[in-house]
Amino acid sequence: MSATLRHLRLALGVPLLVACTKDASRTRAPNDLLTVGYDREPDTMNRYATHILEDIESCVVEGLVTNDERMRVVPVLASEIPTVSNGGVRLRADGGMDVTWKLRPNVRWHDGVPHTSADVKFTVDAINKGDWKPESVDGFDRISSVDTPDSLTAVVHYREVYAPYQLQFVRGTLPRHVLEGQDIDRASAYNRAPLGTGPYRVAEWKTGEYILLERVPNYWRGAEYPKIKRILFKFLTNTTTRINQLKSGEVQMVALVPWDKVRELRASPAIRLNQVVGNGYEHVSLNEKRFPAFSDLRVRRALAHAIDRETIVRTILDGLVQIVNGPIQPLSPAYEAKVATYPFNPAKARAMLDEAGWTVGADGIRTKAGSALRFELITQSGFAIRENVAQTIQKQFRDVGVDMRVRLVDGTSISGLWFNGDFDAMLHWWQQGADPEITLFFAADRAPPAGRNINYFRDDSLTKLLYASDRTADVDARAVLLRIAQRRVAELVPELPLYNTSKIDAVPVTLQHFTGNPTNAGPFWNVYAWDFAPP
Amino acid sequence: MTRLIVRRCAQSVPLLFVISLLVFALIHAAPGGPLSTYLENPNVRPEDIARLRQAMGLDRSLSAQYVAWMLAFLRGDWGYSFADGRPVLERLTERVPATLELVGAASLIALALALPIGVFAATHRRFDRLTTFLTVAGISLPVFWFGLILQLLFAGWLGWLPSSGRATFDGDGIGDRLAHLVLPATLLAAVFAAAWSRYLRRAMQHIIGRPFIRAARARGVRRTALLLRHSLPNALPSFVTVVLLDASIMASGAVVTESIFSWPGVGSLFAESLVKRDYTVLMAFLMCGSITVMVLNLIADIAVQLIDPRTRDVS
Repeated sequence: MSATLRHLRLALGVPLLVACTKDASRTRAPNDLLTVGYDREPDTMNRYATHILEDIESCVVEGLVTNDERMRVVPVLASEIPTVSNGGVRLRADGGMDVTWKLRPNVRWHDGVPHTSADVKFTVDAINKGDWKPESVDGFDRISSVDTPDSLTAVVHYREVYAPYQLQFVRGTLPRHVLEGQDIDRASAYNRAPLGTGPYRVAEWKTGEYILLERVPNYWRGAEYPKIKRILFKFLTNTTTRINQLKSGEVQMVALVPWDKVRELRASPAIRLNQVVGNGYEHVSLNEKRFPAFSDLRVRRALAHAIDRETIVRTILDGLVQIVNGPIQPLSPAYEAKVATYPFNPAKARAMLDEAGWTVGADGIRTKAGSALRFELITQSGFAIRENVAQTIQKQFRDVGVDMRVRLVDGTSISGLWFNGDFDAMLHWWQQGADPEITLFFAADRAPPAGRNINYFRDDSLTKLLYASDRTADVDARAVLLRIAQRRVAELVPELPLYNTSKIDAVPVTLQHFTGNPTNAGPFWNVYAWDFAPP
Repeated sequence: MTRLIVRRCAQSVPLLFVISLLVFALIHAAPGGPLSTYLENPNVRPEDIARLRQAMGLDRSLSAQYVAWMLAFLRGDWGYSFADGRPVLERLTERVPATLELVGAASLIALALALPIGVFAATHRRFDRLTTFLTVAGISLPVFWFGLILQLLFAGWLGWLPSSGRATFDGDGIGDRLAHLVLPATLLAAVFAAAWSRYLRRAMQHIIGRPFIRAARARGVRRTALLLRHSLPNALPSFVTVVLLDASIMASGAVVTESIFSWPGVGSLFAESLVKRDYTVLMAFLMCGSITVMVLNLIADIAVQLIDPRTRDVS
């Protein structure tokens, strides 16, 4: 508070309502309550049915595995990760595979019923039965059956090799003894307050206001966990409101702070900004079907050379992100660093466009055979940074004779545009899973609706490589194939990669063991361990 | 009066039908749909989308969807929300009290400001000049911007008031609730207080210029009585109509205010449902909105009849 304002407040002598608005948390024991400003209210607490991040859900319902802060797959309700080398994965002669999940013993649902392999089988059956509306059944539809030789062993039989099998149960299991025989879409008791095995349970969900979680007694990791007694998720959809509450102390934590708010939060002594390299990347998709000039490799390379990513990152993004050159991010075990790059070089870009037959006209815009090198870039409105980046690229393209218009589109409408291929270029990033699969982004037959190849890019050798990687269950062998694929992608530049999407969370300086998380597992992945330092 | 009520109700049925048709067409004309948010997740495959579309009944023709919605609506079945699968009626009704609280408080604040300002501005020229400036500023305020400024000033810098929400979690007492109400209610009231005071000022000036007031003044009626007993009651009927009609507009204006202050009312539900293209919730909200306007319109007519004897003879 500035001195002037303090004086104003004193001068006015306004104790008005102050007493009743003082943040109550300051008088609490440190581990009593953590208040989180959350950007949206969940649609459901059912992890399989929600289509937003599962931060709140994951405090209640645990997966068999999760991703840690280094993006490694770590066991939670499983006692180990099945692999080819430890015998957990067996490739069958008929082309299918069997994955044996060993469950952690002595884990109980919050109602005291043991968590068993029957719950794993029930989950697969409930999803595959088809009358329920989970968001995605990816992977599950390749499972033919599940055997449960004993209460802690579930053998999952796949019809074909499914490389991302390790993350199959990252969203956990459904409690058979609660949901059997129910219409899960309408099981509102479960969907509002699911039975889980996690460190917390839903104490109260006040619609439009908050969800309160409270610690469960006898959590399987030990009586000392979780340390924090209650977590309150306040729904604050307006970003400015969320940040204002963080600064005023009304909330203590905000996950995924927008990059343009980081600078103003740095001054707050009570807040620590935790930054991890995210598992996503901002890039410009080039729709070859809609704008045929993009199918010329020389044009795509020229555009890549025309963008000054370093300046964009240093100025607009305040150095918060790192430049990347491909779709698989540095934290992934399948990441390949040695790929072709296209450093900022407008002269080279111009020369390449000249060579491709695009000559500069009187208005400074290049033309070829009567048509101009002029296209429209769409991007989602409401993100100041993205709008600035789009305008900068527009200017940089203009410098090499390329005319790019920018159109801002609201979030709901933009998905319809790219899904139908109704755009020339798009500035965006994907919500990527922790698994390094990129087939659906680059395989020739995965243009919408069959996938997310919205560049409508075709390269047979790349497609073959990607499908081969999907059919390789051994993690290391698959990574080798994916590294070759990344080199091929970089060489052919089907899209223009810009920078990695850093994930920045604002947490209290006194909160210990908070690590953040690069994946959709979210920053609450290890919430059981969080602990406020004693004052 | 019974005849008026019966006639209005009969008129409203075809009107509501036309409105439902227009609203249905409009919200479906907006690009995207309830499944758009699913597309963002690359793991959701086209088969999943097709499966969900069918399960949600979105694969039927628009006319079939409309007929199904209308038949269910007539039976009192408002359907389920696309976003969270809960009954629409439940989602809507649980939000009504918060909106009523906000709109009620804002109306009281706006009236408390508009009445004295309107009356004084009509009779005191200097005061009028000052309030003209303030009210024009009030009417032209961008609500979204002003809301954030209020929040920044009173919650951020001064720390006098909570920045958003309806109550402090596990806080208690009426003081806490009131403190949360101050900023959103003030924001919502600001624009209406300005507009209403301008309206009342104009109506008062019109009455004061009439011969019967001059006659009363000539008879030696005191200035206060002249204003409060002779002028104001004559200016009120049209003012009441404006206020009641605006109250329904205020409820829809609460969409922005509720979103800024995370107020858990119908307005923020509408904003959220609009983004998600939650058709069933949107339809229910817009139909309720239309019905509210009609009912308030009717109440305004009845109120005017009660206040103003002249209108009774006409009907």
